[in-house]
Amino acid sequence: MNNVVIGRYLPGNGVLHRMDPRTKLLGLVFLLASVFLIDRFFHMLLALGLIIVLLLVSRISPKRVYLGMRPILFLLLFTFIFQIAFNEEGDLLWSLPLNWSLSSLAAVVAIVFLWGFTRRYVRFSLLYFLLGAAAVLTALANLDYGYTLTTGTLEVYEDGLQSAFFIMFRLIVIVAISTMVTMSTKPTDLNLGLEYILKPFKILRVNTEEIAMIIAISLRYIPTLLDEANKIMLAQASRGVDFKEGRLKEKVTQIVSLLVPMFIISFQRSDDLANAMEARSFVPGAPRTKLHVLIWRRLDYVALVVIFALFLASLGARLV
Amino acid sequence: MAYIEIENLSFAYDNKTTALQDVSLSVEQGEWVSILGHNGSGKSTLSKLLVGLLRPKSGSIRVDGFELSEDTLADIRRRIGIVFQNPDNQFVGVTVRDDIAFGLENLCIPREEMIERIEEYSKKVDMFDYLNKEPQQLSGGQKQRVAIAGVLAMRTDVILFDEATSMLDPEGRSRLLQDMKRLNEEGGTIITITHDMRDAVHSDRIVLLKNGGVLADDSARNILGDKELLEQASLELLLPLELMHTLQAEGLGDDTLREYLWQLSLNG
Repeated sequence: MNNVVIGRYLPGNGVLHRMDPRTKLLGLVFLLASVFLIDRFFHMLLALGLIIVLLLVSRISPKRVYLGMRPILFLLLFTFIFQIAFNEEGDLLWSLPLNWSLSSLAAVVAIVFLWGFTRRYVRFSLLYFLLGAAAVLTALANLDYGYTLTTGTLEVYEDGLQSAFFIMFRLIVIVAISTMVTMSTKPTDLNLGLEYILKPFKILRVNTEEIAMIIAISLRYIPTLLDEANKIMLAQASRGVDFKEGRLKEKVTQIVSLLVPMFIISFQRSDDLANAMEARSFVPGAPRTKLHVLIWRRLDYVALVVIFALFLASLGARLV
Repeated sequence: MAYIEIENLSFAYDNKTTALQDVSLSVEQGEWVSILGHNGSGKSTLSKLLVGLLRPKSGSIRVDGFELSEDTLADIRRRIGIVFQNPDNQFVGVTVRDDIAFGLENLCIPREEMIERIEEYSKKVDMFDYLNKEPQQLSGGQKQRVAIAGVLAMRTDVILFDEATSMLDPEGRSRLLQDMKRLNEEGGTIITITHDMRDAVHSDRIVLLKNGGVLADDSARNILGDKELLEQASLELLLPLELMHTLQAEGLGDDTLREYLWQLSLNG
């Protein structure tokens, strides 16, 4: 259940924590749009710089944000390598002759295996991966003993390198902004902000209050259901089900043995909950007053103006 | 006229079995009535009928002069609050504060008054220090106390406890019973629905249910003193009461001893 923790709210008292959830949601939308509008490398560097400044000002632990980025590290690397290898525009910066010989291929296989077996013992997995990649390239460039199948060159062009960094930075900025918003806002506040922001959709007969109530109740019951799932897993484990190992087919039956009771329990719970809510005078769609109200403060106005200015600037930069 | 009047109430979940058959009973304001019965006696069905969660097959329910129907449902739910059995499944809010507020929000109470009432009633059940806590940080007993605060804050005339102590640990349950006693002493009307003698001994009156019908309706002392009646309803006796009955059957023990045993059962 550890991956649920990523992007989870952490109490704090920074600028972002004090901001109204509506500001953060609107800000998130406009900043994401801006990041997609930007098309120059220098502007992206600026955006990255701004995010780093915001990260430092908001007193959110950078380590947490990095942890939020871990799941997309592979994607980052993949797009990076893809851009470098296949983008052949601009000046040639660097080229490396590669020998696909028997000896170098054997070395590559050996390195990959060694990396695969030892990586779980190394703490800095990203660094270790880069080390492995460097070793593979060195082997390919230098080992030409034995029968040579084919030769090729790895060529790095200026534009390729630039767009590789550009795309990587863009992904980093996007994930960092989103993570910072979710880490500085309680889910309930986020939900409340969403309810306010979606209010205009009432014209389209979308009942935003009901949607917000549904989200609120889901948020309320996630920990309870996780707890329940844990209990069922323990109960099944005590009867010999091993959730950690087994082939795919066994895994499927294990999941079924977890899901079926979960389903039944959830339905019972929702039946109980519906009764409890109704007994406390809840009528879906009826007018209600609210305990929590959101108030715009000066900080929010300032933030919105700054964000909107940034959005206009990036729009302008794109059009010019 | 009594505050709650139930007349010839019948209900069936399907065509074959009847859950309730011709039940009539009344509850006066300020009274503490226990509805006591074994599993399947229809006691939980009765509680759901009382607040309109189920529709009766025949018969009538009258609360404070309102006859239960679609139109009076809201009025009746303003007068009767329920604390259910499962502490987790009735906790609507993300925090204690939100949960107490839930009923108030439904009643469209203005925000300022809501805040006052939350403070007042959370203090009353000793949960004021827990207002920002989430349900998974609370014990079962604490969650039930939050549920009581939620009902109290709505200022209903009657609080109905539907097996509210059955999922609690001994400490939580005795605490909850104390709360019930105090509420009753302060003038609140209380209905406890239970299969457990320990919850019923404190009440003024007991309505004994069996197979969907009323077996007996009398003062707590008269009902609990009647061994045959309790055996008919297949209920388990409290230890001091069991002892009292045994002594009675053997012609032993005087009134002082029986009085002592009765007091002892009240403390359990």
